[in-house]
Amino acid sequence: MTARKSGSRLESEIERCRSETQWDKIPELVRQLSAKLISNDDLGELLLGEAKLQQYLKENPIKQGTSPRGPRPRLQEVRKHLTAALDRGNLKPEYMQEASLIMAKLCYVEADYREALNQYGRVNLDEMQLVGAPVYRLSMIAEAYATKGLCLEKVPMASPSLSNRPADRDQEIITCYEKSGDIALLYLQEVEKALSAGIQNRSPKPGPVTQEQELGYFLETGLQRAHVIHFKNGNLTHGVGRFREILRAVETRTTQNLRMTIARQLAEILLRGMCEQSYWNPLEDPPHHSPLDDPLRHNPHIKDYALSRRPRIYSGENLFCPQENTEEALLLLLISESMANRDAVLSRIPEHNNDRIISLQSASLVYDLLTIALGRRGQYEMLSECLERAMKFAFEEFHLWFQLALSLMAAGKSARAVKVLKECIRLKPDDPTIPLLAVKLCIGNLHWLEEGERFAKIVIDMGEKAAEFRAKGYLAIGLVYSLKATDASLRGMQEEYQKKALSAFQRAQSLSPTDHLAVFYLALQLAVSRQIPEALGYVRQALQLQGDDVHSLHLLALLLSAQKHYHDGLNIIEMALSEYPENFILLFTKVKLETLCRGPEEALLSCKRMLQIWKSCYNLTNPSDSGRGSSLLDRAVADRRQLNAMSLPDFSDPETASHASSSLSGSEPVSPIFPLPSFYPPPKTESTQRPSSHAFCDHHAPRRRFSSASNLPDAFFHGFDSFIGVCSVHATSIAASRVEQALSEVASSLQSSAPKQGPLHPWMTLAQIWLHAAEVYIGMGKAAEATACTQEAANLFPMSHNVLFMKGQVAELRGNVDEAKRWYEEALSISPTHVKTMQRMGLILHQLQRYSLAEKFLRDAVQVNSTAHDVWNSLGEVLQAQGNDTAATECFLTALELEASCPILPFTIIPRSL
Amino acid sequence: MLAMDQGVVEEWLSEYKTLPETAVSSYAASLKDKGSLVPALYKVIRENYSDLLEPVCHQLFEFYRSGEPRLQRFTLQFLPELVWSYLSVTACRDPHCSGCIEALLLGIYNLEIVDKDGQSKVLSFTIPSLSKPSVYHEPSSFGSLALTEGALANHGLSRVVYSGPHLQRETFTAQNRFEVLTFLLLCYNAALSYMTSSSLQSLCQLSSRVSICGYPRQQLRRYKGISARLMVTSEFLVQLITGIHFALCNGEVDLGSKALDDVLYRSQLELFPEALLVGNAIKSSLHGATLKSNKEGTRSIQVEITPTASRISRNAVTSLSIRGHRWKRHESQEDSVDSPDSCPTGPIPEISVTGVSGERLANGEALRCRTEGEALGGATEVGVDPRGQEVRRQKSVRKHLEDGTPSAGRVQL
Repeated sequence: MTARKSGSRLESEIERCRSETQWDKIPELVRQLSAKLISNDDLGELLLGEAKLQQYLKENPIKQGTSPRGPRPRLQEVRKHLTAALDRGNLKPEYMQEASLIMAKLCYVEADYREALNQYGRVNLDEMQLVGAPVYRLSMIAEAYATKGLCLEKVPMASPSLSNRPADRDQEIITCYEKSGDIALLYLQEVEKALSAGIQNRSPKPGPVTQEQELGYFLETGLQRAHVIHFKNGNLTHGVGRFREILRAVETRTTQNLRMTIARQLAEILLRGMCEQSYWNPLEDPPHHSPLDDPLRHNPHIKDYALSRRPRIYSGENLFCPQENTEEALLLLLISESMANRDAVLSRIPEHNNDRIISLQSASLVYDLLTIALGRRGQYEMLSECLERAMKFAFEEFHLWFQLALSLMAAGKSARAVKVLKECIRLKPDDPTIPLLAVKLCIGNLHWLEEGERFAKIVIDMGEKAAEFRAKGYLAIGLVYSLKATDASLRGMQEEYQKKALSAFQRAQSLSPTDHLAVFYLALQLAVSRQIPEALGYVRQALQLQGDDVHSLHLLALLLSAQKHYHDGLNIIEMALSEYPENFILLFTKVKLETLCRGPEEALLSCKRMLQIWKSCYNLTNPSDSGRGSSLLDRAVADRRQLNAMSLPDFSDPETASHASSSLSGSEPVSPIFPLPSFYPPPKTESTQRPSSHAFCDHHAPRRRFSSASNLPDAFFHGFDSFIGVCSVHATSIAASRVEQALSEVASSLQSSAPKQGPLHPWMTLAQIWLHAAEVYIGMGKAAEATACTQEAANLFPMSHNVLFMKGQVAELRGNVDEAKRWYEEALSISPTHVKTMQRMGLILHQLQRYSLAEKFLRDAVQVNSTAHDVWNSLGEVLQAQGNDTAATECFLTALELEASCPILPFTIIPRSL
Repeated sequence: MLAMDQGVVEEWLSEYKTLPETAVSSYAASLKDKGSLVPALYKVIRENYSDLLEPVCHQLFEFYRSGEPRLQRFTLQFLPELVWSYLSVTACRDPHCSGCIEALLLGIYNLEIVDKDGQSKVLSFTIPSLSKPSVYHEPSSFGSLALTEGALANHGLSRVVYSGPHLQRETFTAQNRFEVLTFLLLCYNAALSYMTSSSLQSLCQLSSRVSICGYPRQQLRRYKGISARLMVTSEFLVQLITGIHFALCNGEVDLGSKALDDVLYRSQLELFPEALLVGNAIKSSLHGATLKSNKEGTRSIQVEITPTASRISRNAVTSLSIRGHRWKRHESQEDSVDSPDSCPTGPIPEISVTGVSGERLANGEALRCRTEGEALGGATEVGVDPRGQEVRRQKSVRKHLEDGTPSAGRVQL
């Protein structure tokens, strides 16, 4: 009784060892077994034969792509054991089958393929039970199918099956491999199940339990050979199908590497060889005729084979199934990435050099493919997050750093992009594109002029080496100086920067005479310094190079208006509008010119049309805007730290205080993300984004009191402020601009599918349309209508200094000087350097006969913007009233002179960007 | 143009007009047998002044409007050539001609932006997330993904992005030109597998020419068409690159790599991050791959049997192997600044260098378990996991002992 019991325990121990491929333990167990029961001698032979063959293969593995080497003396023993077991025939049928299978395998190893096939002929593989079979037998069957496939490939026309047509034979081979692969997957799943059950039942014994299972040559072949053949035959549909079957099987530890590779390969095929129209999803049947398959080859019709048991596949409710090739590629790459990332070799000791290179190569391939997939769909935000994870591989790896920088740039995360670009410059100091990209960001919404200057100088210092980029370097530094000139508060500084900018643009133009941008910025710079005829010459040249450039056309119109050729200017604007019908900056200029040329009624019609255009542009918001709310919230929280770090220098350094017009220059399209007053097109994003603004508000304690009256996030008023501040030439408050910067970072990062019509923020644009209408009404003396329009703008941005200024204007129109003064004071408390408000304030104080205070305001205003002729004029009036006639005369003369070259809107409303 | 070509085109023009409704499908299937037709049509499009251009454009539009996929693809194969023809004419500011090409392009665009019922089409794209189960994975197997803010924020969300609806366009303007053309290329790219090699070649040529005309590289390529610079947008270049990528991998190695280089050259000059990003990635991903150039245009996608065992030696320190490792905290100060951001949900105990760091990590792990449990719709995971965690910890310790690495940091057990 005891003997019997321990005998069955022994049997299960043997079974376990066979399943866990612990062949070295078998001889000892067989010895114990033969001591127990005589009738198991044959089983002993079988086991010893198997163990010795496996041991041999472990020590002399067959490599992929090589053939077995033929008989070996060590294998003689194996044959003896097996022959003994087979000849006596005392074994139970299933053990007989096993013996035949091992024998066949031995024949294959000895390169006797025909004999191997003979052995397989004796066992009906298809009838071997998969249900309830011990784990090791699954492996044996899987190997048998693979080996049979290998033999069939080796021996032409040796198929034991009846038909000898090549197509059928190919079909038989593939079916062998596919069955082998399926059963191998099942086997691996079962092993893992047994292992984890073992861990739970026993305390984790130290020992080979944790050792990773290695697939032998046969299982590896069985798993992969089928799809390799499919692809070799140009049969992409079946190859893809096979890939998908393997990937859908629940993963095991042993298949992880295989899955990582196959996932990447399938992604490659999806990205390189498929398109939306030729795609079918993993749960669909493949199309009968596909352009993916080689039409020249005859593709055998694949018969579906039946297995009594298949590997478990991922199942459950709400499984995500991709509907498009890029989606599937992306899913596969994310899976592959997570595994590649896990394998990142971190140690940098020389012994691990090779490992590191391997892990880097496999990871960078995955990241490149991710870039291709996400780039196609414009998902740069997500891409930048993925590439961020690649950074653990990136030490001294230029490609990864540069790709991260570009993705951050494309995602609108400018500040971080600049920092990463710095590292790229360090790694590749000779490449002029990198510093140029950095300048582009610096003079864009970051408005980091000092940094921008440094980057531009790197390019210039490269000299001839920078080749075609040299001109771009000069253009870049010219733009930096030009923006600095606009920012400077001292006239001397302004003039110095203007001079520098001018000479840089001239240099750029002489280096690259066919570049319309160089000529255009030269013209713009001349215009800003009021050299109108010269500017006209260059802008015409720019238009010859690039006839439909919107900014050149706009500048031409403004230059004509400076020469008081308003009608010509209007014609140009209308011509430009025929090419750019939805360009709001052009439309604003048009309203101004129309008021002068055709009277306020026409201008009002234009305002109305603008509202219609606004509606048609931004009413078409697509559903993804609604999803954005939450992501904005996430971003605001996530970016807070980054914002803190990046904008602190602005506080200490007024020189870098960003500037109003820069908000115009951002060419990135932005999307509507703010709540709207009731009767505008329905915003799809209420509630969610409001908390996000608090992230910005936090920096803003002193300003908070203004927002108490409103339910709108105050951050946006300041954004609006500095936008509308384009009308003034100088910077608004530093804090406001900092928020503006943060806003544009966030807003532009949401661009993916935003409307592309205009560079301005939609709600800012809308508010500005209302303010323009209000101005026209004020010009007509219609106070009630002007009030209504101002109120519309105030609903959007109640704390904007431009709105407050307009309220003051309306109050003046009504003859209510005290109220006007109050509005102007509020406007100035938000934007202390708003020139127009300062001028009106000065005039009111003049009326109230408070001359010295009036003079103070006007002198400050002139300091801020020395080309504002109406301020000079007002200053003259005040001085005259004080009896200071000489100074007054001088002011009047300056005003007169400036007025002669004054455009209808400041030249600086034209954006300056690389 | 040869009289023979003209004859072929004229026959094609008249044949379709007399075709009964029922025969359209078989006619579409027979189109590919007309060997000399496609080259003849290319000639018509290239010779801008041909009298045949207008009827040809008209018929191509009729093909597209028929809704029969094979006819639509027949038209689509000429898209690169049509786009080039249109762009080169606008660059020369040649007032006459190309009106019919413009009309054809706008016609296709206006057909593509609406669905069968004439409603504006909105294309959607789901961004897969590893935190949701899919046909290829279940989230729990990636349970050890880094618990970053981003991962938390996207947890369990599948994001869908949309493109559209797009505005109907009656005319081309400077403002909408590339918007329309980019959309058309998107449609072309959606049918890339069906495109003939002559169409792919024409796409590569279009890409090269658009990128280099008016720039010094034009001399290098010896292209003598127009010499004016063409304005482009980054999105347009990205769509071109997508097509070039396909061409490169499907037989057009020479023209494809030239085109890719030219587009990258232009993107550098224009400082377009998007196009540079995708172009660089393609270049780098094909770096090792050997691309076969063969005349039959065979798809050059091949795979080999790859070893399933990890190629990375077991004793190398990898992200995985140090996952359980507890680093000594040097920057306790910074940490206390950071933590409110990363974990806004609850108070985190003040962390000192000496004692509690183990506690803190366990805290984080517990948080992760919970989110996983939620993703699976049950809290059972939470109960099971501590054991798994225990195993993992033991393993990492063993690893350390095996590696013999001196424990630089404080290893908390």
